Amino acid sequence: MSVTAVDYVRRRPVEQLTTFLIDGHLFGIDVLKIEEVTGKQKVYEVPRSPNFIRGLVNLRGQIVTALGLRELFQKDSSRRDDQMSVVCKLDGNLVALVVDSIGDVVEIERSLFESPPDTIPSEVRRFIKGIYKMNGQLMSVIDLGAIEKEFSPNTDPATTRIN
Amino acid sequence: MSFSGEELDEFKAESLELLENAEKQLLSIDKGGDFRAAFDATFRCFHNLKGAAGMMDLEKLQVHTHKLEELLMGFKEATSMPKPYVTLFLRGIDASRILIDGGDVTFNYDVESEPAPREKPKAPELSAEAIDEFLSECEEIVERVSANLQTIEGGNEIKPRTDDIYRDIHSMKGSAYLYGYKKLGDLTHAMESSLEKIRQETHLPSKELLNALFRSLEIIDQYVTLVRSKTDRSTLDLLIPNLENVLNLCAANLPMNFSEAAKPTSIDEPVSVPVSKEPPQAVLGKESEGATSIRVPISLLDNLMTLMGEMVLVRNQVIQFSNKSDDLEFVSMSKRLNVVTSEIHEEMMKTRMQPIGNVLTKFNRVVRDLSQDLGKQINLHLHGTETELDKSLLEAIKDPLTHIVRNSCDHGIETPDVRRKAGKSDVGNLTIKSYHEGGQVIIEVQDDGKGLHREVILQKALEKGLITQAEVGSYSEKQVFNLIFEAGFSTAAKITNVSGRGVGMDVVRTNIERIGGTVELASIPGAGTKTKIKIPLTLAIIPALIVSSGNGTYAIPQVRLEELVRVEQSSTTSRVEIVHGVPVFRLRGNILPLVDLNSVLTRENRNDYRDGTLNIAVLNADQFSFGLIIDRIQDTADIVVKPLNRLIKSLQIYSGATVLGDGAVALILDIPGIAKVARLETAAARAIETSEDLAEKAKASSEVQDYLIVRLNSPTKHGIVLGFVHRLEEFKRSEIEYSGRLPVVRYRDVILPLISANEHLGYPEGTKSSQFVSVVVIKKKEALYGLIVDEIMDTLSTSADLDSKINAQNGIFGCLNTPNELIVIIDPFDIIERQYPNSKQQELYPAPSLAADSGAQAVDGKFPKIPATILLAEDTAFFRKAIKAVLEKTGYRVVCANDGQEAMDLLADPKNTFDLVVSDIEMPRLNGFQLAEAIRKHHAHSKLPMLAVSSRADIHSMEAGLKAGYDRYLEKLKPNILLSAVSELILKARKAA
Repeated sequence: MSVTAVDYVRRRPVEQLTTFLIDGHLFGIDVLKIEEVTGKQKVYEVPRSPNFIRGLVNLRGQIVTALGLRELFQKDSSRRDDQMSVVCKLDGNLVALVVDSIGDVVEIERSLFESPPDTIPSEVRRFIKGIYKMNGQLMSVIDLGAIEKEFSPNTDPATTRIN
Repeated sequence: MSFSGEELDEFKAESLELLENAEKQLLSIDKGGDFRAAFDATFRCFHNLKGAAGMMDLEKLQVHTHKLEELLMGFKEATSMPKPYVTLFLRGIDASRILIDGGDVTFNYDVESEPAPREKPKAPELSAEAIDEFLSECEEIVERVSANLQTIEGGNEIKPRTDDIYRDIHSMKGSAYLYGYKKLGDLTHAMESSLEKIRQETHLPSKELLNALFRSLEIIDQYVTLVRSKTDRSTLDLLIPNLENVLNLCAANLPMNFSEAAKPTSIDEPVSVPVSKEPPQAVLGKESEGATSIRVPISLLDNLMTLMGEMVLVRNQVIQFSNKSDDLEFVSMSKRLNVVTSEIHEEMMKTRMQPIGNVLTKFNRVVRDLSQDLGKQINLHLHGTETELDKSLLEAIKDPLTHIVRNSCDHGIETPDVRRKAGKSDVGNLTIKSYHEGGQVIIEVQDDGKGLHREVILQKALEKGLITQAEVGSYSEKQVFNLIFEAGFSTAAKITNVSGRGVGMDVVRTNIERIGGTVELASIPGAGTKTKIKIPLTLAIIPALIVSSGNGTYAIPQVRLEELVRVEQSSTTSRVEIVHGVPVFRLRGNILPLVDLNSVLTRENRNDYRDGTLNIAVLNADQFSFGLIIDRIQDTADIVVKPLNRLIKSLQIYSGATVLGDGAVALILDIPGIAKVARLETAAARAIETSEDLAEKAKASSEVQDYLIVRLNSPTKHGIVLGFVHRLEEFKRSEIEYSGRLPVVRYRDVILPLISANEHLGYPEGTKSSQFVSVVVIKKKEALYGLIVDEIMDTLSTSADLDSKINAQNGIFGCLNTPNELIVIIDPFDIIERQYPNSKQQELYPAPSLAADSGAQAVDGKFPKIPATILLAEDTAFFRKAIKAVLEKTGYRVVCANDGQEAMDLLADPKNTFDLVVSDIEMPRLNGFQLAEAIRKHHAHSKLPMLAVSSRADIHSMEAGLKAGYDRYLEKLKPNILLSAVSELILKARKAA
């Protein structure tokens, strides 16, 4: 019986995360969820969309929705030029998470994981799965499921229109 | 014939080589090698060997290989071969070797005999794929046979169609036994034999046989469905032997074909001739079909289609890039790429296209069965069956269409006795028309049944709680018809097994909207219902208008676009105006609500449209139209629709996105969504609700009359009823020639006499400064006349009343009192008659002396006042009013009908009594001729005097009118002649009574 690479990584007591910086904060996403990392892309705005939707990106003929993580995590959203995108698949569609800069892929023991403290404002906390205590700094793990939920608004579209 | 030893040796060597090759191939099948290649090689081998054996007079070998080849043909469409067959063919090869060596063998061609007990076919050995293909083929055959049977039922092409059916059934029988569906095989066998006599043209098909065959097809259809779903078929299996008996019985009792028997040649001809001829033909037919078409999984085509979309995008990018390039070689290469891509795209689209007839012809059957069940007589007419549509869309419209057709048959078309009472023919007509229009496929289902009744629908909607009592009055016709599409709505008085369960029309709409289509209903009570479905040709690539607003680029689906208007704001007459803070535009006299795309996108209202030019795209948002103000119109393009993620879609203003030629992303605008977001829909509804004089408005819409507005040398504007205008022309002043005193101009092949309107109406001639003269061409009794006016200004639709009290002047009907100004309406016919008196109406029956052309006499004193009620049928509002006014002035009571059907309805009501019918000839629904015929047929009104008044006053129409039953046929709007004829006819009828 052979163990696939995915199974192998999953079973280990460590997790591999791609790290990136948003407004000086360290964030991480499960490396297996990431399709690719791209540099700065031309973003086509979508008028009337919520502010965290930066717009649409033409990624080699595929249309990708760009999400500004700065906006999503309520950071200062004066946009900077050196932005990178982490492309993931959400809800069947490709989504580019726009971040400030990409860090390393880190391997970290699951035992160092903790759920986010209650004092974090709820609008930020709802997109965070938990926090890894690393040497010298803390890394927030992004909850892609929560973002996906945000993306599939329930029957009331009016709420998403207010912005 | 003998062959040299050398030749025989050569033959043997070759044959053995062939056999060896075949053996190798067969074994490779066993090991899971490529079946198709192996099949082809084996087939070639047997075939060649058969041919060679025939040449060498080796009869046994020839027969043997022929049989093997035939068996092998059963796998022509298959993708694998069960083991027992491989063994059989291997044995066959061994036997062939013995035969070649001059030996003799007895060979058992039965596949089951060796490895297993008989009658136990190895069905499980067949791959699911092969079975699936067999089943689809069965379905296709059922469809074809059904169509053919219907043709036969209609009494056409009996022999060729029977042959077609025979062939199809025959091949189905073969496959059914082969795949181990014994019952299916038995049934098809019975069907095949029942057709035998008809094929030989000794007997004619009987109604019973056709019914039994239809029933068999149904069973086969069910059988296939059960096999597909792997459900138990034992109940169906029990039905089959019974059906076989019925088929045999019907076949035994067929009527003789006397016309055939009478032919002297057929007496001596043995009946066996066509039989022996048929099987090889069937094989040939299959062979050629196999060579020209292959089966491809739809998923493969879908993938290709997606890739095609990508390729179109890349092509667009390359083209844009090459436009900037100076490299000639690259430019020409990209041009070539462009052409090739377009061609591939086109061909690619065709692979998915299927004629809509594939679905529509099914309805022949549906309608036939329904009309029998419901006791109605319905003729189905199909038009445009060759219109092609994407296969997936075709599948998607099948159910909605079936539903609409069933509805029409059940609710729409009446039973023969009801139809007869309504003055219609017993046989109802259901027409399905399909055609391409503006990149869409339009399917119209029209019946001539009883139509939809507004009150019934509203009543029902009230009962179901879909609307409130308060809303009832405010519903427009469109809104009322839309209620039918609400879930849980059904107007059928009782639930039948055909329809009426209240599910359906809502599903119809949902299904059609899901594929990006729209569905509309139109109905005239008593005359029928028309359902119009519009669907896009294909989903993946749509034509669109590319526009820009702000920094963004957007695409508007061409389907939604009605027209583009460019407005110069500096113009005083046609520009965007602001009313209560919202922009509107007057489009051909109607106010078009405007939405500024920029405002929608930025949420900022803009109200100053003072300068520059504006582009307005007039768009259709299902229920109404609106104008979208756009910054720039860029181009039209075929765009590949890409889905948007749900969050963006929930904004309601975008339906998708696309990548443009330069790689830019453009959002596709969701037009109904934009209307919703801009609150247009509610606004439109509210406008109707709050309108203080709703009834007035409703009336107005039906009473609107179009006029052509011209300027004469007079401060007042003048109008001509648009219906009178044949053409508008402009001639150079130098082109005018004179015939005697009268100005004429050579116009196409005829000489067009010109008449100055100024002169006839007593205005001074204007200055002849302009090089051109504007001419309104009027057709009177097949001759053309040109009316010279100073300027052709505009057209006007108005419901304003025509005041004919002040028509104290020749050549004028009266005045139109519009809200802004007074418009004088010219009577062009009168002017023409004055200029050319011999163009006057020729009376077939000259009216009595008082019909003298006495000009503008006061009508009152001239004609005897007889109290009488006159029914006036006239569809044009203008004439309806004018004739009514003339008659009422003389003291008659006038009841108006908007068309012949309405007139007929009024006459059918026993409460009404009329002394005379005055009718127009050209009217919708029931025209004047039909009306007259219907009245003459009606027992109570066969003697009712009738008068035709028409602008179609040529001699043929007149004769036709008199033949249809009119007592008199007059040219339109000659008040004096009309009144004299009216009084004469009424008096005559009174005297006779």
